[in-house]
Amino acid sequence: MTERREYSALVERHFAAPRNVGRFEPAFDVLVARSGRVDQGIEVVLSARIEAERIAALRHLVYGCPHSIAAASWLTERLVGATLDELAQWRWREAATALDVPPEKWGRLLAIEDAVRGLERAWRERASSRARTA
Amino acid sequence: MNAPLPIYLDYAATTPIDPRVAEAMIECLREPELQGNPSSMGHEYGRRARARVEQARAQVAAAVNGRPECIVWTSGATESNNLALLGVARFHADRGKHIVSSKTEHKAVLDALKQLESEGFFVTYLKPGADGIVAPEQVSEALRDDTQLVSLMHVNNEIGIIQDVGAIGRICRERGILFHVDAAQSMGKVGIDVQAMCVDLLSLTAHKSYGPKGVGALYVRRNPPVGLRPLIFGGGQELGLRSGTLPTHQIVGMGLACEIAEREREADVARICALRERLWTGISKLGRVELNGHRTQRVCGVLNVSFHGVEGESLKFALTDLAVSSGSACASASDAPSYVLRALGRSDQLAQSSLRFSLGRFTTEAEIDAAIAAVTREVERLRAIAPATSPAK
Repeated sequence: MTERREYSALVERHFAAPRNVGRFEPAFDVLVARSGRVDQGIEVVLSARIEAERIAALRHLVYGCPHSIAAASWLTERLVGATLDELAQWRWREAATALDVPPEKWGRLLAIEDAVRGLERAWRERASSRARTA
Repeated sequence: MNAPLPIYLDYAATTPIDPRVAEAMIECLREPELQGNPSSMGHEYGRRARARVEQARAQVAAAVNGRPECIVWTSGATESNNLALLGVARFHADRGKHIVSSKTEHKAVLDALKQLESEGFFVTYLKPGADGIVAPEQVSEALRDDTQLVSLMHVNNEIGIIQDVGAIGRICRERGILFHVDAAQSMGKVGIDVQAMCVDLLSLTAHKSYGPKGVGALYVRRNPPVGLRPLIFGGGQELGLRSGTLPTHQIVGMGLACEIAEREREADVARICALRERLWTGISKLGRVELNGHRTQRVCGVLNVSFHGVEGESLKFALTDLAVSSGSACASASDAPSYVLRALGRSDQLAQSSLRFSLGRFTTEAEIDAAIAAVTREVERLRAIAPATSPAK
């Protein structure tokens, strides 16, 4: 390309081969959250399969810049094994540091954090729904 | 070991130098008899260098059907555009302060016009149609009693469309208004005839037509004289319009590049058109791609395509196998969507997801096939990881 932004090695690796692409089929133990819009430069869908009150696996679909693609991919490995409390504590700055994301792209990471918050809400709703039916 | 170079499809940014041109330039740099100052007419070194400069002037003039004395050497199209616009506007300021141009001109024109606005001139920026074409009637309607100059580009550098400068030139000539054409992208791709097109000033550059960077020319009609105030003062070269020692080797390179470009234009255009169609056919098989600019009123070598469902920066980063542009090379340091595509009505998102492929004399069929394969692979990959319900997917 005529211009080329600098990307960290981790961004380059995840961009070239994104991990855990796709989504789980709807089920009781599957949580889904979506955030962003194409005209905002990022749209992301996260789906998580819960087993024994921990995230057993994550899948993602993402439209966005190389940093967004890499961050969504990286997150699907980072959050495996997380409890609801651990998920609730996750913030975008961890991805910014790990992937060396420049400040002008931090807004894209906020969209990814929004999707994580969506998973958290879905998890809490699932928990309260299960409590009601118990 | 150096990494292999990507396939070069950025001829609209600059072209490689034709080996024949390089040879002629090297001769000027190597032979002592050609190393005099072309303005030193008192000795043989200067006279021999001057003879080569004048031969090149005639070559450039012939390529645009102009007279050699109308050619003024500059450092490139940016300087030519600045000299034409600032020089004419300031010289004729007492005749009127209105100028007509368009929103899709090169930055070298738009920024020069911005400077004139800061000096009290008024500029009407015409909005082209969705195909990038400025209709001659738009120009007619924009002219005022105090209009002194119309400036439009012949071939758009981002989308490759060809403006009907002949029709616009005739309108200007009838109204007694000066007409400047930025023809930086035209040489060797489309015929230029300053007489038939009623052009008063024409900007040219060497490096878009297989000549060297750092040299250009401004055609300035001499009969009747246009009236132009210089931007650079000094030794009074170029009849006082552009002072500075003439770079013989650069000028010789430009002269030969223009001669070759015009002589081989028909063959080049036919071959490059076929390659461009092959590229478009291959890319359009992806679906959800849009050609930017008029379908047929375009030069052979430029294909500007918008890709739905892929984010622009990712698309560009993915195509490391290709040397292509996302817009004008002169403006692409920023991530802002192309102002040319925005003026054509493309959304920010789609403008940002657009690539300019530009082909040239040395592009091969194998390179085009490799480019199609790379674009297909990466666009499909990026679309496959995007959310399925995304409106852009």
